[in-house]
Amino acid sequence: MIWEVFRQEKSGDYHKHCGNVHAPDREMALLFAEVQHGRRKPTNSLWVTPQKEIGEVDTEDTAFGGTTDKSYRWAMTYNFEAAASEVEESESEQASAERERKAQIEGGS
Amino acid sequence: MAAVEELSEPDDLTADEREAVQHQLFRLADDEFVVAERYTEWQVKAPTLESDLAFSNIAQDELGHARLWYDLLQDWGAEESELIWERDPSEWRHSTLAELPFDEGDWADPVLRSYLYDVAEDIQLRALQDSSYPRIRDRVGKILGEEDYHREHAANWLERLCEEEESRARVQDALDRLFPHALTLFAPTDEAVEERIDELGIRSEPLVTMREEWLDEVIPFLESLGLSVDDAELPEQYDVHHSQLELPEHTGRDQSHTDAWFDLHDDFTHTYQELGRTSAERIMKDPDDE
Repeated sequence: MIWEVFRQEKSGDYHKHCGNVHAPDREMALLFAEVQHGRRKPTNSLWVTPQKEIGEVDTEDTAFGGTTDKSYRWAMTYNFEAAASEVEESESEQASAERERKAQIEGGS
Repeated sequence: MAAVEELSEPDDLTADEREAVQHQLFRLADDEFVVAERYTEWQVKAPTLESDLAFSNIAQDELGHARLWYDLLQDWGAEESELIWERDPSEWRHSTLAELPFDEGDWADPVLRSYLYDVAEDIQLRALQDSSYPRIRDRVGKILGEEDYHREHAANWLERLCEEEESRARVQDALDRLFPHALTLFAPTDEAVEERIDELGIRSEPLVTMREEWLDEVIPFLESLGLSVDDAELPEQYDVHHSQLELPEHTGRDQSHTDAWFDLHDDFTHTYQELGRTSAERIMKDPDDE
Protein backbone atom coordinates (compact mmCIF):
# COMPACT_ATOMS: atom_id res chain seq x y z
CA MET A 1 0.00 0.00 0.00
CA ILE A 2 1.31 3.44 -0.95
CA TRP A 3 1.15 6.41 1.40
CA GLU A 4 1.73 9.95 0.15
CA VAL A 5 3.95 11.99 2.44
CA PHE A 6 3.69 15.70 3.19
CA ARG A 7 6.41 17.58 5.01
CA GLN A 8 6.10 20.79 7.00
CA GLU A 9 9.43 22.54 7.46
CA LYS A 10 8.48 24.73 10.37
CA SER A 11 5.46 25.36 12.52
CA GLY A 12 2.84 27.37 10.63
CA ASP A 13 4.07 26.38 7.15
CA TYR A 14 1.93 24.36 4.76
CA HIS A 15 2.59 20.64 4.57
CA LYS A 16 4.04 20.15 1.10
CA HIS A 17 3.99 16.90 -0.80
CA CYS A 18 7.48 15.38 -0.80
CA GLY A 19 7.09 11.79 -2.02
CA ASN A 20 5.66 8.50 -0.83
CA VAL A 21 6.37 5.31 1.08
CA HIS A 22 5.17 1.73 0.88
CA ALA A 23 3.75 0.56 4.19
CA PRO A 24 1.01 -1.80 5.38
CA ASP A 25 -0.64 0.70 7.71
CA ARG A 26 -0.55 4.27 9.01
CA GLU A 27 1.77 3.60 11.94
CA MET A 28 4.42 1.94 9.78
CA ALA A 29 3.99 4.61 7.10
CA LEU A 30 4.82 7.30 9.66
CA LEU A 31 7.79 5.30 10.93
CA PHE A 32 9.20 4.91 7.41
CA ALA A 33 8.38 8.47 6.39
CA GLU A 34 10.33 9.76 9.37
CA VAL A 35 13.52 8.22 8.02
CA GLN A 36 12.84 8.64 4.34
CA HIS A 37 11.54 12.18 4.27
CA GLY A 38 12.30 13.77 7.63
CA ARG A 39 15.92 12.80 8.14
CA ARG A 40 17.88 15.01 5.79
CA LYS A 41 15.76 18.15 5.53
CA PRO A 42 14.49 20.46 8.25
CA THR A 43 11.21 18.97 9.39
CA ASN A 44 8.67 20.05 11.95
CA SER A 45 5.87 17.65 11.07
CA LEU A 46 4.95 14.93 8.56
CA TRP A 47 1.56 13.81 7.30
CA VAL A 48 0.86 10.51 5.58
CA THR A 49 -2.30 9.64 3.72
CA PRO A 50 -3.27 6.59 1.68
CA GLN A 51 -2.66 7.32 -1.98
CA LYS A 52 -6.10 5.98 -2.92
CA GLU A 53 -7.76 8.53 -0.65
CA ILE A 54 -6.43 11.40 -2.74
CA GLY A 55 -8.87 12.84 -5.26
CA GLU A 56 -7.52 14.33 -8.47
CA VAL A 57 -8.77 16.52 -11.29
CA ASP A 58 -6.27 17.44 -13.99
CA THR A 59 -5.97 19.33 -17.30
CA GLU A 60 -7.40 16.38 -19.19
CA ASP A 61 -10.61 16.75 -17.24
CA THR A 62 -10.97 20.51 -17.16
CA ALA A 63 -9.58 23.85 -18.25
CA PHE A 64 -8.48 25.36 -14.98
CA GLY A 65 -9.65 28.98 -14.68
CA GLY A 66 -11.83 28.67 -17.80
CA THR A 67 -10.92 29.53 -21.39
CA THR A 68 -12.11 33.13 -21.65
CA ASP A 69 -10.46 36.31 -20.48
CA LYS A 70 -11.11 36.73 -16.77
CA SER A 71 -8.94 39.73 -16.05
CA TYR A 72 -11.98 41.50 -14.66
CA ARG A 73 -11.52 39.30 -11.61
CA TRP A 74 -8.24 40.94 -10.69
CA ALA A 75 -8.30 43.34 -7.81
CA MET A 76 -6.76 46.16 -9.92
CA THR A 77 -9.63 48.55 -10.37
CA TYR A 78 -9.40 50.37 -7.08
CA ASN A 79 -5.95 51.89 -7.51
CA PHE A 80 -6.80 55.58 -7.11
CA GLU A 81 -4.19 55.76 -4.40
CA ALA A 82 -1.01 53.79 -3.79
CA ALA A 83 -1.85 50.22 -2.92
CA ALA A 84 -0.51 48.44 0.12
CA SER A 85 2.55 46.38 -0.69
CA GLU A 86 0.59 43.16 -0.09
CA VAL A 87 -1.92 44.23 -2.74
CA GLU A 88 0.88 45.13 -5.16
CA GLU A 89 2.44 41.74 -4.64
CA SER A 90 -0.84 39.95 -5.03
CA GLU A 91 -1.53 41.82 -8.26
CA SER A 92 1.79 41.03 -9.84
CA GLU A 93 1.40 37.42 -8.76
CA GLN A 94 -2.02 37.25 -10.41
CA ALA A 95 -0.70 38.95 -13.55
CA SER A 96 2.16 36.56 -14.01
CA ALA A 97 -0.06 33.57 -13.16
CA GLU A 98 -2.50 34.73 -15.83
CA ARG A 99 0.31 35.05 -18.38
CA GLU A 100 1.50 31.53 -17.62
CA ARG A 101 -2.03 30.16 -17.77
CA LYS A 102 -2.63 31.75 -21.17
CA ALA A 103 0.66 30.52 -22.48
CA GLN A 104 -0.27 27.05 -21.32
CA ILE A 105 -3.66 27.14 -23.04
CA GLU A 106 -2.15 28.50 -26.25
CA GLY A 107 0.72 26.05 -26.15
CA GLY A 108 -1.70 23.20 -25.53
CA SER A 109 -4.17 24.05 -28.34
CA MET B 1 21.36 5.21 47.09
CA ALA B 2 24.06 7.13 48.90
CA ALA B 3 25.36 10.21 47.17
CA VAL B 4 28.53 9.38 45.31
CA GLU B 5 31.51 11.56 44.86
CA GLU B 6 32.15 13.04 41.46
CA LEU B 7 35.09 11.42 39.66
CA SER B 8 38.00 13.54 38.48
CA GLU B 9 39.12 14.45 35.01
CA PRO B 10 40.44 11.49 32.94
CA ASP B 11 44.10 12.18 33.74
CA ASP B 12 43.51 12.45 37.47
CA LEU B 13 41.76 9.10 38.00
CA THR B 14 43.44 6.45 40.12
CA ALA B 15 44.37 3.23 38.30
CA ASP B 16 41.35 1.45 39.81
CA GLU B 17 38.98 4.23 38.85
CA ARG B 18 40.34 4.37 35.34
CA GLU B 19 39.95 0.63 34.89
CA ALA B 20 36.33 0.81 36.04
CA VAL B 21 35.51 3.68 33.67
CA GLN B 22 37.22 1.90 30.80
CA HIS B 23 35.29 -1.33 31.39
CA GLN B 24 32.04 0.61 31.37
CA LEU B 25 33.05 2.39 28.16
CA PHE B 26 34.10 -0.79 26.36
CA ARG B 27 30.76 -2.39 27.28
CA LEU B 28 28.97 0.51 25.63
CA ALA B 29 31.24 1.18 22.66
CA ASP B 30 31.81 -2.43 21.59
CA ASP B 31 28.09 -3.28 21.79
CA GLU B 32 27.15 -0.34 19.59
CA PHE B 33 29.90 -0.87 17.05
CA VAL B 34 29.41 -4.61 16.62
CA VAL B 35 25.61 -4.57 16.56
CA ALA B 36 25.77 -1.83 13.90
CA GLU B 37 28.31 -3.84 11.93
CA ARG B 38 25.86 -6.76 11.87
CA TYR B 39 22.83 -4.56 11.09
CA THR B 40 24.54 -3.17 7.99
CA GLU B 41 24.46 -6.67 6.49
CA TRP B 42 20.77 -5.98 5.85
CA GLN B 43 21.54 -3.01 3.67
CA VAL B 44 19.89 -3.62 0.28
CA LYS B 45 18.60 -6.96 1.64
CA ALA B 46 15.77 -5.95 3.94
CA PRO B 47 12.26 -6.96 2.78
CA THR B 48 11.32 -3.57 1.30
CA LEU B 49 13.11 -0.37 0.37
CA GLU B 50 11.47 1.36 3.32
CA SER B 51 12.49 -1.23 5.89
CA ASP B 52 15.98 -1.19 4.38
CA LEU B 53 16.33 2.56 4.87
CA ALA B 54 14.86 2.49 8.37
CA PHE B 55 17.15 -0.30 9.52
CA SER B 56 20.25 1.17 7.87
CA ASN B 57 19.43 4.43 9.57
CA ILE B 58 19.31 2.66 12.92
CA ALA B 59 22.71 1.11 12.17
CA GLN B 60 24.07 4.58 11.43
CA ASP B 61 22.70 5.83 14.75
CA GLU B 62 24.44 3.03 16.62
CA LEU B 63 27.74 3.72 14.85
CA GLY B 64 27.40 7.35 15.86
CA HIS B 65 26.89 6.27 19.47
CA ALA B 66 29.93 3.98 19.29
CA ARG B 67 31.94 6.96 18.08
CA LEU B 68 30.92 8.99 21.14
CA TRP B 69 32.01 6.20 23.50
CA TYR B 70 35.28 5.35 21.70
CA ASP B 71 36.08 9.03 21.77
CA LEU B 72 36.02 8.96 25.58
CA LEU B 73 38.39 5.98 25.56
CA GLN B 74 40.84 8.13 23.60
CA ASP B 75 41.22 10.36 26.66
CA TRP B 76 44.03 8.07 27.78
CA GLY B 77 46.04 8.33 24.60
CA ALA B 78 44.72 5.50 22.42
CA GLU B 79 43.89 6.37 18.82
CA GLU B 80 40.55 5.43 17.28
CA SER B 81 42.38 3.07 14.92
CA GLU B 82 43.95 1.27 17.87
CA LEU B 83 40.59 0.89 19.55
CA ILE B 84 38.75 -0.40 16.50
CA TRP B 85 40.89 -1.54 13.58
CA GLU B 86 43.95 -2.74 15.44
CA ARG B 87 42.57 -4.13 18.68
CA ASP B 88 42.81 -7.87 18.90
CA PRO B 89 39.38 -9.52 18.51
CA SER B 90 39.95 -11.42 21.77
CA GLU B 91 39.97 -8.12 23.66
CA TRP B 92 36.49 -6.94 22.66
CA ARG B 93 33.79 -6.82 25.32
CA HIS B 94 30.48 -6.67 23.42
CA SER B 95 27.64 -9.03 24.28
CA THR B 96 27.47 -12.13 22.07
CA LEU B 97 23.96 -11.01 21.06
CA ALA B 98 25.64 -8.35 18.91
CA GLU B 99 28.00 -10.68 17.07
CA LEU B 100 25.79 -13.64 16.08
CA PRO B 101 25.42 -14.04 12.32
CA PHE B 102 22.07 -13.77 10.56
CA ASP B 103 20.60 -16.51 8.42
CA GLU B 104 19.96 -15.25 4.93
CA GLY B 105 16.53 -13.67 4.63
CA ASP B 106 15.64 -14.31 8.27
CA TRP B 107 14.15 -10.86 8.93
CA ALA B 108 12.61 -11.99 12.23
CA ASP B 109 16.11 -12.18 13.72
CA PRO B 110 17.25 -8.56 13.27
CA VAL B 111 13.81 -7.31 14.30
CA LEU B 112 13.80 -9.34 17.51
CA ARG B 113 17.48 -8.76 18.14
CA SER B 114 17.10 -5.02 17.88
CA TYR B 115 14.11 -5.17 20.24
CA LEU B 116 16.02 -7.14 22.88
CA TYR B 117 19.07 -4.94 22.40
CA ASP B 118 17.36 -1.56 22.38
CA VAL B 119 15.24 -2.18 25.47
CA ALA B 120 18.45 -3.16 27.29
CA GLU B 121 20.32 -0.17 25.90
CA ASP B 122 17.65 2.18 27.14
CA ILE B 123 17.83 0.72 30.65
CA GLN B 124 21.63 0.88 30.67
CA LEU B 125 21.74 4.46 29.39
CA ARG B 126 19.23 5.63 31.97
CA ALA B 127 21.47 4.16 34.67
CA LEU B 128 24.25 6.42 33.36
CA GLN B 129 22.30 9.67 33.43
CA ASP B 130 23.53 10.40 36.94
CA SER B 131 26.97 8.88 36.44
CA SER B 132 29.71 10.12 38.75
CA TYR B 133 31.93 10.36 35.67
CA PRO B 134 30.91 13.65 34.00
CA ARG B 135 32.23 12.76 30.53
CA ILE B 136 29.87 9.78 30.36
CA ARG B 137 26.95 11.65 31.92
CA ASP B 138 27.21 14.50 29.41
CA ARG B 139 26.78 12.23 26.39
CA VAL B 140 23.88 10.08 27.53
CA GLY B 141 21.09 12.53 26.73
CA LYS B 142 22.14 12.91 23.12
CA ILE B 143 22.09 9.14 22.62
CA LEU B 144 18.82 8.54 24.47
CA GLY B 145 17.20 11.02 22.08
CA GLU B 146 17.70 8.57 19.21
CA GLU B 147 16.67 5.44 21.04
CA ASP B 148 12.89 5.90 21.10
CA TYR B 149 12.75 5.42 17.35
CA HIS B 150 14.73 2.20 17.59
CA ARG B 151 12.41 0.64 20.15
CA GLU B 152 9.29 1.80 18.33
CA HIS B 153 10.62 0.40 15.07
CA ALA B 154 11.42 -2.98 16.58
CA ALA B 155 8.19 -3.27 18.59
CA ASN B 156 6.01 -2.25 15.62
CA TRP B 157 7.64 -4.85 13.41
CA LEU B 158 7.34 -7.54 16.08
CA GLU B 159 3.64 -6.84 16.54
CA ARG B 160 3.07 -7.26 12.83
CA LEU B 161 5.27 -10.32 12.39
CA CYS B 162 3.41 -12.01 15.23
CA GLU B 163 -0.02 -11.49 13.67
CA GLU B 164 0.30 -14.59 11.50
CA GLU B 165 1.27 -18.08 12.46
CA GLU B 166 4.07 -18.62 9.97
CA SER B 167 5.93 -15.42 10.72
CA ARG B 168 5.30 -15.76 14.45
CA ALA B 169 6.96 -19.18 14.30
CA ARG B 170 10.00 -17.52 12.76
CA VAL B 171 10.11 -14.96 15.54
CA GLN B 172 9.82 -17.80 18.08
CA ASP B 173 12.78 -19.57 16.43
CA ALA B 174 14.82 -16.40 16.68
CA LEU B 175 13.76 -15.97 20.29
CA ASP B 176 14.83 -19.50 21.23
CA ARG B 177 18.20 -18.84 19.65
CA LEU B 178 18.81 -15.26 20.80
CA PHE B 179 17.42 -15.12 24.32
CA PRO B 180 20.35 -16.74 26.16
CA HIS B 181 22.72 -14.42 24.30
CA ALA B 182 20.58 -11.42 25.16
CA LEU B 183 21.15 -12.26 28.82
CA THR B 184 24.86 -11.62 28.28
CA LEU B 185 24.01 -7.94 27.79
CA PHE B 186 23.97 -7.89 31.60
CA ALA B 187 26.90 -10.23 32.16
CA PRO B 188 29.91 -8.89 34.04
CA THR B 189 33.18 -8.07 32.31
CA ASP B 190 34.89 -8.98 35.55
CA GLU B 191 33.02 -9.35 38.86
CA ALA B 192 35.41 -7.18 40.86
CA VAL B 193 35.56 -4.39 38.30
CA GLU B 194 31.77 -4.39 37.88
CA GLU B 195 31.39 -4.02 41.64
CA ARG B 196 33.78 -1.11 41.55
CA ILE B 197 31.75 0.51 38.73
CA ASP B 198 28.73 0.41 41.08
CA GLU B 199 30.63 1.57 44.16
CA LEU B 200 32.13 4.51 42.32
CA GLY B 201 28.70 5.47 41.04
CA ILE B 202 29.77 5.30 37.40
CA ARG B 203 26.29 3.81 36.89
CA SER B 204 23.38 4.00 39.28
CA GLU B 205 22.01 0.45 38.85
CA PRO B 206 23.93 -2.80 39.21
CA LEU B 207 23.78 -5.29 36.33
CA VAL B 208 21.48 -7.65 38.23
CA THR B 209 18.88 -4.94 38.83
CA MET B 210 19.00 -3.80 35.24
CA ARG B 211 18.58 -7.36 34.01
CA GLU B 212 15.48 -7.81 36.16
CA GLU B 213 14.08 -4.56 34.86
CA TRP B 214 14.75 -5.78 31.33
CA LEU B 215 13.13 -9.19 31.97
CA ASP B 216 10.11 -7.43 33.47
CA GLU B 217 9.70 -5.42 30.31
CA VAL B 218 10.52 -7.85 27.51
CA ILE B 219 8.86 -11.03 28.81
CA PRO B 220 5.33 -9.60 29.21
CA PHE B 221 5.59 -7.85 25.84
CA LEU B 222 6.80 -10.98 24.01
CA GLU B 223 4.15 -13.11 25.71
CA SER B 224 1.47 -10.62 24.73
CA LEU B 225 2.43 -11.32 21.11
CA GLY B 226 1.82 -15.04 21.54
CA LEU B 227 5.49 -15.88 21.94
CA SER B 228 6.74 -18.20 24.59
CA VAL B 229 9.80 -17.23 26.55
CA ASP B 230 9.70 -20.51 28.48
CA ASP B 231 10.66 -22.36 25.33
CA ALA B 232 13.50 -19.95 24.74
CA GLU B 233 16.09 -22.31 26.14
CA LEU B 234 15.96 -20.49 29.42
CA PRO B 235 18.39 -21.94 31.87
CA GLU B 236 16.75 -24.45 34.23
CA GLN B 237 17.46 -22.39 37.28
CA TYR B 238 15.91 -19.39 35.57
CA ASP B 239 14.54 -17.08 38.19
CA VAL B 240 14.27 -13.37 37.60
CA HIS B 241 15.06 -12.70 41.21
CA HIS B 242 18.15 -14.83 41.24
CA SER B 243 21.53 -13.44 40.35
CA GLN B 244 22.97 -16.65 38.93
CA LEU B 245 21.35 -17.01 35.54
CA GLU B 246 23.06 -19.55 33.37
CA LEU B 247 24.68 -17.83 30.46
CA PRO B 248 25.83 -19.27 27.15
CA GLU B 249 29.34 -20.70 26.94
CA HIS B 250 30.68 -17.35 25.73
CA THR B 251 29.37 -14.10 27.13
CA GLY B 252 31.45 -11.65 25.12
CA ARG B 253 31.71 -9.35 28.13
CA ASP B 254 34.56 -11.44 29.55
CA GLN B 255 36.29 -11.37 26.15
CA SER B 256 35.22 -14.92 25.26
CA HIS B 257 33.39 -15.00 21.93
CA THR B 258 31.66 -17.28 19.45
CA ASP B 259 33.53 -18.22 16.26
CA ALA B 260 31.21 -15.91 14.33
CA TRP B 261 32.85 -12.91 15.99
CA PHE B 262 36.29 -13.75 14.67
CA ASP B 263 34.90 -14.07 11.14
CA LEU B 264 33.10 -10.76 11.47
CA HIS B 265 36.24 -9.09 12.80
CA ASP B 266 38.23 -10.43 9.82
CA ASP B 267 35.58 -9.01 7.50
CA PHE B 268 35.44 -5.49 8.86
CA THR B 269 39.20 -5.11 9.31
CA HIS B 270 39.95 -6.67 5.91
CA THR B 271 40.30 -3.44 3.95
CA TYR B 272 42.31 -1.76 6.68
CA GLN B 273 44.73 -4.70 6.69
CA GLU B 274 44.84 -5.09 2.94
CA LEU B 275 45.73 -1.44 2.42
CA GLY B 276 48.37 -1.65 5.14
CA ARG B 277 46.84 1.23 7.06
CA THR B 278 48.19 2.39 10.40
CA SER B 279 45.65 5.08 11.12
CA ALA B 280 42.03 5.83 10.30
CA GLU B 281 40.87 8.90 8.42
CA ARG B 282 38.79 11.17 10.63
CA ILE B 283 36.13 12.96 8.69
CA MET B 284 34.19 14.43 11.58
CA LYS B 285 34.96 16.93 14.30
CA ASP B 286 35.91 15.69 17.71
CA PRO B 287 32.65 15.17 19.63
CA ASP B 288 33.96 17.54 22.31
CA ASP B 289 33.94 20.33 19.72
CA GLU B 290 30.43 19.67 18.43
